[in-house]
Amino acid sequence: MAVDVSRLRRRATPRHGKVRVVRGRKFRPGTLFRWLFILLYLGFLVLPLYWVAITSIKPQEDLLVDPPIWWPSHPTSLHYSTALNAFRGWDGLRNSLIIAFSTTALALLIGTPAAYSMARFRTGGKHLAFWFLSQRIMPPVAIIIPVFLLYARYTEEWFGFSLVDTKVGLILLYTVFALPFTVWMMFAYFRQMPAELEEAALVDGCSRLQALWRIAAPLAAPGLVSAGAFAFILSWTEFLFAQVLSRTNAVTLPVALAGIITGFQGNQYGEASALTMVSLIPALLLGILIQRHLVRGLTLGAVQG
Amino acid sequence: MSDDNTEDLGGIFEKPVGRRDFLFDSAKLMAAAAAAGPFFMAAKQAAAAELASLGGDPIATNAVAAAKKSFSKVKISKIAESGPQALEVKNFSGPLWKKLTGAEVVSVEAPFAQIHSKAIAEHLAKSGALDVIDTSPAWIPEFADRGVIIPVDDLVAKYKAKATFSDLHPLYRLLGKYKGKTWGFFDDGDVWCLYYRKDVFADPKLRKAYKAKFKRDLRVPQGWDEFDETSQFITDQMAPKLYGGGEGRALGNPGNQFYFFQQFRNAGGQFFDPKSMKALINDSHGVKAMTQIMKELKASPPGIEKLDFISSWGVWLNGKTAMIYAWPPTGRISENYSQRDKVFAFLPKSKIVGKVGYALMPGKNGEHAGSFIQCIAADSKNKEAAFLYALWCTSPSVSLQRVMLPYTLRDPYRISHYKSKAYRALWPSAKQYLITLANAANDAVIDMQMIGAADYSNALDRAMTAIYAGKDIKKGLDDAAKEWDSITKKIGVDNQRKAYAEFLKLPGATAANTVSKLGLAVHIT
Amino acid sequence: MDRHIRWLLVSPAVLIIVALTIFPLAFSVWVSFVQFDFSVSEKHPWVGLDNFKQTWQDPVWVHSLVVTAVLATLSVAVELALGFLLALAMLRPFRGRRGLMVLFVIPLFISPVIAGGFFDLFLRRPFGPMNWLLTHLLGHPVTIDFTIDGRWPFFSLILADAWQWTPFVFVILLAGLSAIPDELYEAAEIDGARPRQSFFFVTLPLLTPIILIAVTFRFIDATKLFDIIYSLTRGGPGTETYTSSYYLYQQGFEFFHLGQGTAGAWMFTIMLTFVSFWLIRRLLKPVEE
Repeated sequence: MAVDVSRLRRRATPRHGKVRVVRGRKFRPGTLFRWLFILLYLGFLVLPLYWVAITSIKPQEDLLVDPPIWWPSHPTSLHYSTALNAFRGWDGLRNSLIIAFSTTALALLIGTPAAYSMARFRTGGKHLAFWFLSQRIMPPVAIIIPVFLLYARYTEEWFGFSLVDTKVGLILLYTVFALPFTVWMMFAYFRQMPAELEEAALVDGCSRLQALWRIAAPLAAPGLVSAGAFAFILSWTEFLFAQVLSRTNAVTLPVALAGIITGFQGNQYGEASALTMVSLIPALLLGILIQRHLVRGLTLGAVQG
Repeated sequence: MSDDNTEDLGGIFEKPVGRRDFLFDSAKLMAAAAAAGPFFMAAKQAAAAELASLGGDPIATNAVAAAKKSFSKVKISKIAESGPQALEVKNFSGPLWKKLTGAEVVSVEAPFAQIHSKAIAEHLAKSGALDVIDTSPAWIPEFADRGVIIPVDDLVAKYKAKATFSDLHPLYRLLGKYKGKTWGFFDDGDVWCLYYRKDVFADPKLRKAYKAKFKRDLRVPQGWDEFDETSQFITDQMAPKLYGGGEGRALGNPGNQFYFFQQFRNAGGQFFDPKSMKALINDSHGVKAMTQIMKELKASPPGIEKLDFISSWGVWLNGKTAMIYAWPPTGRISENYSQRDKVFAFLPKSKIVGKVGYALMPGKNGEHAGSFIQCIAADSKNKEAAFLYALWCTSPSVSLQRVMLPYTLRDPYRISHYKSKAYRALWPSAKQYLITLANAANDAVIDMQMIGAADYSNALDRAMTAIYAGKDIKKGLDDAAKEWDSITKKIGVDNQRKAYAEFLKLPGATAANTVSKLGLAVHIT
Repeated sequence: MDRHIRWLLVSPAVLIIVALTIFPLAFSVWVSFVQFDFSVSEKHPWVGLDNFKQTWQDPVWVHSLVVTAVLATLSVAVELALGFLLALAMLRPFRGRRGLMVLFVIPLFISPVIAGGFFDLFLRRPFGPMNWLLTHLLGHPVTIDFTIDGRWPFFSLILADAWQWTPFVFVILLAGLSAIPDELYEAAEIDGARPRQSFFFVTLPLLTPIILIAVTFRFIDATKLFDIIYSLTRGGPGTETYTSSYYLYQQGFEFFHLGQGTAGAWMFTIMLTFVSFWLIRRLLKPVEE
């Protein structure tokens, strides 16, 4: 399909404060149907969430009763203080924040130039693109012990430092996990972005790196936001590797959570719910901040010629 | 934690003898545990008197002195189950050890099954990151044979600490032994007993109905068939207000193999043919055990097949079941002893305080399920310091305080625990509770302690949940037995034959060689 | 100049991936061909294809492959359907749309292992509200063990997976939908197309590449379904809901039959490569143009 470049550029130029309003006579499902579906889906989405939220403030008397209690008569904040103070909640929260933000930054920092190069110069062609994507295929269990051995033993033997139980170790690993997606999304985004502006800058005496840094990257901001969001999500929710690669210093939220929800003599649902609610706060803030860019970033990136 | 509970409770052991400093401080920490309940004053006085009569605890004080002298700068890391178990290290023994010796203890936390994985992974990496490993007895043969842990005999001799074993219940004294060596300090008496509602069994209406139906008096069941009959009777009469019994049966939580191991061996079964090493779990004993278990399910609250253990505890505490057979914390939570600590906020307050009786398991052979032994990691760079910490931690006086902490889920295991006046004063029937625990250990059967125990258990656990979901009993057990045979083949039939012979030496390996049958039973009064 | 810089720009990403994965990959290839089983011995003699053979002979493994394929296909289908409908419903601006968007993406921020745990709590009989809700909605008592009875365990897993991942599909499809230029619809309308027709002849064809992106990423991830199994069904009842990843996790990591577990993982990788190659090839078509 033919894409009008000037139109694209108009969309690519950041416009603050306004959602791009879709006008015209697109296919529109009936209003009734639309609202019905949104409501239904909302129910499906919110019910389990509500249950987590309510579980987190239920006194233990109300937790495991039949019929289930929908609203506790004496809400308590006990689970929050216990989960945060006694069951590694604060540690997990702090570590997860550091790790998730660092991963996001690092993945964007090295993923974006790669994507740019692939989009503008066709570096590596489809082989490189395929190679990036193929990183996601292997089931993690195949490499989990080798990665542990690498981190706990061989980096020590070869280079004199150990990466196990360090935030850096997890950040590096998560960056590797996030890169395929970051690169792919930015790759798609840059391919849809007109090159004229950068070319103009090059003519004006900018270097290629400056053109990337000053012209292309700001134009790609929505794409960066959505690619970054997915990197953040990945490192915010990853469990298996964090469990295996942490001891005391790099315990993340999912690890702390799994520790109290898969206990041998039982599960601490109140505490787990409380910690889950806590883990949603940064996510919600982030969601509110970026939601407008999330879709717009994908909008351009995902368009195929 | 519960700072608000600590004031004016500082002197639980007000007149300590021996090393005043350590006892006094530990008392402070303990005060966090034992908040002011109606029986607290009695406990306080009893504890003081008791320690006076013991003349201190040389094992603990010597360990502290040695550690203070040589290892005051050594940081020890201990891996423990995440949640309340690890909290003990963080809140009690860790800070106390630091106070006494200057050395730090950090706890690495992992869910139960992952303690096993993590210990092995760290061993493969030769990282030396773990010093003390909370090891389930089932893993000892594997950890010992593969060099994950070291025997403690030499260090015990060096520090003249042999006395620490003599006070253990005979069952637990022998559990840490493998191939003639001792591999750690036993630390959690996880024996199952039957807990029942005294008020239900005394209910005149129920008793009358029972007598009319069975021509005999209603009593706490003595055997499994009677148990099934009684629990079904109660369910028929009272459901949905009250059910006869109910244990968590979710796959892997806590693991159905425990139920099978218990009833299978009570029925007279044994895991393997010692000669051919063919699995015998699908023989007539196995079918009988499994048939009984299915009857138990029928008498349980609906949905029990998917309940984890905490949930079945919740059902029990809400007064919805008349009997439960389970781990020792059941006794403490029933009396609201554990729930007095804020950290223990995952169980409801008990609605059955004062109504709970303790009995041996039907057929007497209760499973000793799970449990922990504190072992020293072979790759540890601070083996001696780790040893001293573990020795101190499990010494009579310190372990008493640890098993009395409301939140830890550590259960009594020493003769002196069972006799402890302080413990007996925690709630009115605590004495009976302790005596029952000791008696239960006399007749207990133990988990499989062989390499591959986790594989065998998992195969059985899966087979049992398949049977719960409708698979034929015999077919399910046959399939599990087939799986067992292939696990045995994989690990090596000869290896496993030797390992099984080694296992059979342990008391409680079968119903025929429990502590009682070996003539070693202790009788606490 | 550009010739050098193009590789310079790509190199950090390539290098970090290579640096962190080359050893683990090489190690795991080696492990698949030696005896590496903590329950057997510490020595690692060469065993050729034994690990592959042993894994292949385990009926649970074969069963897990089928379960994986079925679960992955069904959950992706459900997510695609829900995500697509939701994207259509959310396409046009309306009051409250922004707030809804934030709500809709929340599940993505919850660790799957936790989401599984909460579905367990939510569906559990008798304490969870699901049976209660159904009972009151349908007006007659409903007592289903959602993780045990019949096919319900699969339903529960798909439900949890869809809850978690529909937002992912939704966001991508919404992006795709809103990028379709209005002119095309206008042109279609001038040609006399009805809304339904323009949906089938304009929307769908233009959206196909985006649908492929969503499906490819989701499908690859869905075949590795582990976390939700771990906390919701643990593969049960029996071995009913064992997925390959859960099986491999247990064999390789929990029981430390590392040789076998890794060999299985490689077999799985090869199979998945074929499937995803087919998908990715379609995805990469525009690059080849």
